[in-house]
Amino acid sequence: MMSLASYLIISMVLFVVGLMVMIARKNIVAILLGIELILNAAALNFVAYSRYVTSNLDGHIFSLFIIVVAAAEAAVGLAIVIRFFQIKETIHVDEATQLRN
Amino acid sequence: MFLQFLFISSAILTLACTVAVLVTKNLMHSCVFLLGTLVGMAGLYATLGADFVAVTQIMVYMGGVVILMLFAVMLTGGKDFVSRAQNLLGLPASMGNKWTYSMGIFVGVVFILTNVKLLSSIIKTTPTKTIGNDFPSTVTQLGHLLVKDHVLAFEISSVLLLGALVGAAIIARPRKQN
Repeated sequence: MMSLASYLIISMVLFVVGLMVMIARKNIVAILLGIELILNAAALNFVAYSRYVTSNLDGHIFSLFIIVVAAAEAAVGLAIVIRFFQIKETIHVDEATQLRN
Repeated sequence: MFLQFLFISSAILTLACTVAVLVTKNLMHSCVFLLGTLVGMAGLYATLGADFVAVTQIMVYMGGVVILMLFAVMLTGGKDFVSRAQNLLGLPASMGNKWTYSMGIFVGVVFILTNVKLLSSIIKTTPTKTIGNDFPSTVTQLGHLLVKDHVLAFEISSVLLLGALVGAAIIARPRKQN
C-alpha cells in the first residue's frame, strides 16, 4: 500500500488536476490555485524519492525551497491581481491584453 | 497500522479536495478545498517521515498562502461572481467555458497516458529501499544542511523573499493619477 508508486500516483493526479485548472479556468486567482497544486505535486515527489530511494535529506531541502518560492510567487501574483482589478474592474484573464499601467 | 490509516485518509482527503478544486463553481469554495488538499499533503509528508516539511507546509501554506488567496478572492469578487452566468456548464464565465474545459480534459488525459507509461518503467527500474517504521526527527539534520551544504540557496531565498515582499507592496499600492 505505502510504496513509492502510490506517492507518485498521488503526485501525478495533483499535477494533472493543477494543469487542468490552469487551462480550464479563466479567473486569474483560479490559475494561481492551479500553480500551487503543481508546485505541491513536485514537492511531494521530492520527499517521496528522498525517503524511498536516496538516504539523505536533500529532497526535504528542495521541498522547503519550493514552499518558500511558492509563498513569494503567491504574494507577487496576488499583488498583480489586485492591481489588475483596480484598473480593469475584472479578473477575467482574457481582459489582460496590455502590459502598460 | 496507524501509519496505514494516516496514509489512506490523507490520500483520500488530498485527491477528493483536489478534484473539488477543479470542479466546484464558487471560487471561494475552491480556495477552501485547496486548504483541504494542503492538509492532506501535510499528512502525506508525515507518513514519509518529513516532520519539518509537514509543519512548514501547514504554517506557510495554510497560514499564509491560502489566506492571501482568500483575501484576493474577496477583494476582487466584483461582477465576476454575479452577472456573467452564461456558459453551457452553468458556471460563471470566469470559471471557463466548454472549450477551455475540453482542452483541459484532453491535455489531462494525454498527460496521464504518457505518465503511466513512464511511471511503470521508472518504478520497475528504480531501486527502492526497504524501510521500517522508525521516524527519527529530521530537524537537526535539516538545520545542518541548510547552513552548510545549501547555504547559498538559503541566502538567495532570503533575498528573493525580501524582493518579493517589496515588489508586491510597490505593485499593489494605490496610485493617485489613475
